Amino acid sequence: MVTVALDINPAHATPWIELAKPTHPSLIDTTHVTDELFGFINVPMAVWIDENGMLVRPAEAASIERSPLRDREVPTGLPPRIEQMYREVKSIPDDSEEYRSAILDWARHGAASKYAMTPEQVVAASQPVSGSQSRAAACFALGEYLHRTVGHDAAVPWWREAHALYPENWTYKRQAWTLVTTPEGATENDLMQGPNEVYTGNWLDDVIAAGGGGSYSVRPQLE
Amino acid sequence: MIISSTTLSVPEFLAATGWEAKPEGLCRGELCVPAPGALANSVVNVTVAAEKLGMPLVHDASHNVWALGVATATGRALASAKAFFPSSLIDAMGRAFDFSSLRGRRIIMVAWASW
Repeated sequence: MVTVALDINPAHATPWIELAKPTHPSLIDTTHVTDELFGFINVPMAVWIDENGMLVRPAEAASIERSPLRDREVPTGLPPRIEQMYREVKSIPDDSEEYRSAILDWARHGAASKYAMTPEQVVAASQPVSGSQSRAAACFALGEYLHRTVGHDAAVPWWREAHALYPENWTYKRQAWTLVTTPEGATENDLMQGPNEVYTGNWLDDVIAAGGGGSYSVRPQLE
Repeated sequence: MIISSTTLSVPEFLAATGWEAKPEGLCRGELCVPAPGALANSVVNVTVAAEKLGMPLVHDASHNVWALGVATATGRALASAKAFFPSSLIDAMGRAFDFSSLRGRRIIMVAWASW
């Protein structure tokens, strides 16, 4: 197991890593290069890599535990946007039991596991990539570079373009949104990522525009 | 992928993109894309290489920096099943991680985030 935090500021990921006290390599990807190399477009997602360094499963949603949130009733009296967010989160497909079973099968059987794909299958099963989606990767990279070397304002135009070119890539959007919606001095990132004056999008409205929570993840194809 | 110049050495282009410039073309795993003009005297012409691989080359003129998009030559996020491990990932102490330490082991690489 190797975990990779897609966080342009390592200080945002480090407290979580220290809290978890992991025994596996727990890394931070400050440039989202693993988006480009493996096809991550949201979190959590995972790829499987065999002993020979070959991918045997492409990037796909990688929850292994059902969130208790899914089985709770939506509380009454919530502000309308929070209530809607609750409903959308509950509607995100849950494949955690099947995915965990698949991992265990691969751990036991390796290449003989029915879940391990051939090189041709894994390439074909990876997400399609268009010219505009590819350009979005370059725009996001420019934004990250300028955020680091010049300042946040220099990054914003490139991140806006990345969002417009590849709206299905939630790592580009959530990374940028949280930087403008988290109050200064807050100890944790804002996860609501609501309407703001910098970007046209926000978590709830973009999820609804994309088809709702049911369209939010790249579901693992385990049949 | 940020690059500082439109001409790079073969190792620099490999480190930035995961694609190795060889006489037969631009290669990743067993896949080689013919790319005449991309490699001369051990120098990669990034403009030519990017065109052959279907990688947009985007320039920020104000700060004189370029970025390459993802290769679209195969139309899929993965051009090859051969994993390319980046050297830029760090641990919580800020130290670079050497993926060769995991050679010969099965890996599940899980992406998460604080946001």
